[in-house]
Amino acid sequence: MTLAAWLAVAVFASAYILIATEKLNRAAVALGGAAAMVAIGATRGHAMFFSEETGIDWNVIFLLFGMMIIVGILKETGVFEFLAIWSAQRAQARPFRMMVMLILITAVASALLDNVTTVLLVAPVTLLLCDRMALPPVPFLLAEAMASNIGGTATLIGDPPNIIIASRAGLSFNDFVVNLAPIVVVLLAVFIGLAWLLWGRRLAHDPERSSAVMALTPRETITNAALLRRMSLILALVLLGFVTHAVTHIEPSVIALLGAGAAILVSRLEPDTYLEDVEWETLLFFAGLFVMVGSLVHQGVIEQLARSVTSLIDGNYHVAAQGILVGSAVLSGIVDNIPYVATMSPLVHGLVGPAAGLPPEEASLWWALALGADLGGNATAIGASANVVVCGIAKRNGHPISFWEFTKYGLIVTAVTILCTVPYVTLRYF
Amino acid sequence: MRAIDLAEQVPTVHKETTGAEAARIVAEFRLNGLVVADDSGVPIAVIPGSQLLSVVLPQYVRDDPHLAHAYDEQAADDLCAKLTTVTLGDLIDAKRLTPAQLPQVEPDATVVEIVSAMSKLHYPLIVVADQARFHGVVTMSRVLAAIAQAAGQDSDLIRRRLDKDIIDRGRSGYLSEAGGDTARGAGEDAR
Repeated sequence: MTLAAWLAVAVFASAYILIATEKLNRAAVALGGAAAMVAIGATRGHAMFFSEETGIDWNVIFLLFGMMIIVGILKETGVFEFLAIWSAQRAQARPFRMMVMLILITAVASALLDNVTTVLLVAPVTLLLCDRMALPPVPFLLAEAMASNIGGTATLIGDPPNIIIASRAGLSFNDFVVNLAPIVVVLLAVFIGLAWLLWGRRLAHDPERSSAVMALTPRETITNAALLRRMSLILALVLLGFVTHAVTHIEPSVIALLGAGAAILVSRLEPDTYLEDVEWETLLFFAGLFVMVGSLVHQGVIEQLARSVTSLIDGNYHVAAQGILVGSAVLSGIVDNIPYVATMSPLVHGLVGPAAGLPPEEASLWWALALGADLGGNATAIGASANVVVCGIAKRNGHPISFWEFTKYGLIVTAVTILCTVPYVTLRYF
Repeated sequence: MRAIDLAEQVPTVHKETTGAEAARIVAEFRLNGLVVADDSGVPIAVIPGSQLLSVVLPQYVRDDPHLAHAYDEQAADDLCAKLTTVTLGDLIDAKRLTPAQLPQVEPDATVVEIVSAMSKLHYPLIVVADQARFHGVVTMSRVLAAIAQAAGQDSDLIRRRLDKDIIDRGRSGYLSEAGGDTARGAGEDAR
């Protein structure tokens, strides 16, 4: 390797350590790392801005940006609060039934939107329900964070790692639904059983307290019914756009941007309102990360690594897929799964290339990466962005969740879900 | 007019004051902020009125204002009742109240200096003190009364506002009933 390549590896490793230890703001580290890559000559302007392989993947950035605006406007309708309170009342405000309903709502919403937004919307209403029922909110919040990571695994837009994988592998929305949704349904059923064992059986039911939840008025939370109708139509059209990608060939990022534009037009909200929900820090983090990883690609580091791994695998894709699945689960628990997948995607690309036209045993590497990284995010409090957000909300409301309290449950859930996924990968692709 | 001429005494609260008592003091004296005093009665911090309103709301309702619509009357009453069991100290510890150090001016500060300090910090109150002693507090309503008078907008009400301290509003009512314990005048002990 050249000197620039070795320097690029050193910059990347340093930035990775800083991101993993969370000593500094992650966006600042990623952008600082990107600047360092330019300074050492590991990348250049054209490679950074005009190449998906060696620079910023604008499909990922604008897909996230578009969905953030759509969700920001949808949020203004109050529909999520309505759904959560309505579902609690449908469960007759019995604690475990309520937990199951909240798990299902969080999982489905996470598949259609993104995990962080979903938990940001569901957690406050969960705190309200638990407050009214004098129930400990921490089990509910933990269950929701984990349900969002499991549910988000099912679709291309459900979890940021999936968006990166889809873009790098050339996978469509339907590919994700067909390959991941079936196992996610099974995993959700298993997770509900786990939720009973871990928390549900200890939640006491107090009929008097339950009546306090039944007295809540969910319809009042819908503050703009006309906007809700319009946004439901736009969201449906956006999903239709994702599903019909094979026919229309319109990129998911373009569909999301068109949806965002339509939502802005019909909502007539002030820019401050919908731009408030755009996580600029996350977008900048992605941009910096892409430049850093792209620099490694540009310098041939990833290609060399892929060659070494290829000779190690020696055509045994079954072992490789299971190794990626379990290894990704372990590593995603230690570092945020976004930088992990951003780094691994070029490597898998180097091993098997784009997913289109690949035989199932080779394509399995991409699916193993998605499953391992998404489900591994449940392992620790810092494994996925949704976990960090839930812990923050819990702390702000006087119910702090320690790293080890999360991890104690997270490790069990991750171990069980990965154990269920190992035979799925074998049966499905080999 | 100088700060020393505008300084007045205002009711103060302590960390042990409950949320409900604080609400009552604000309502009785028609205050737009609460002054927190130390054991000797010297103001040490101010809590803006807007923060006091928000303590009624749980953090999760502040995070998601849509949830406010889900409360029925009984649930709303339950929320208010919780204020009787929580003290300002509890709310400060939980960071639901974030009192700030009172800004301070010298006794000979002019109206322009007072207004400048208030507008810079968005505070409705400012302490008048020098190294030797604490003189009282200038409130936004009193400084505006002085400005109105100087601009030729004089009236009986304006003169009364300049003559009578806020603490006097409650002397015959609240203070006599409460024994002046929870709502002492700022600076009374220090004068």
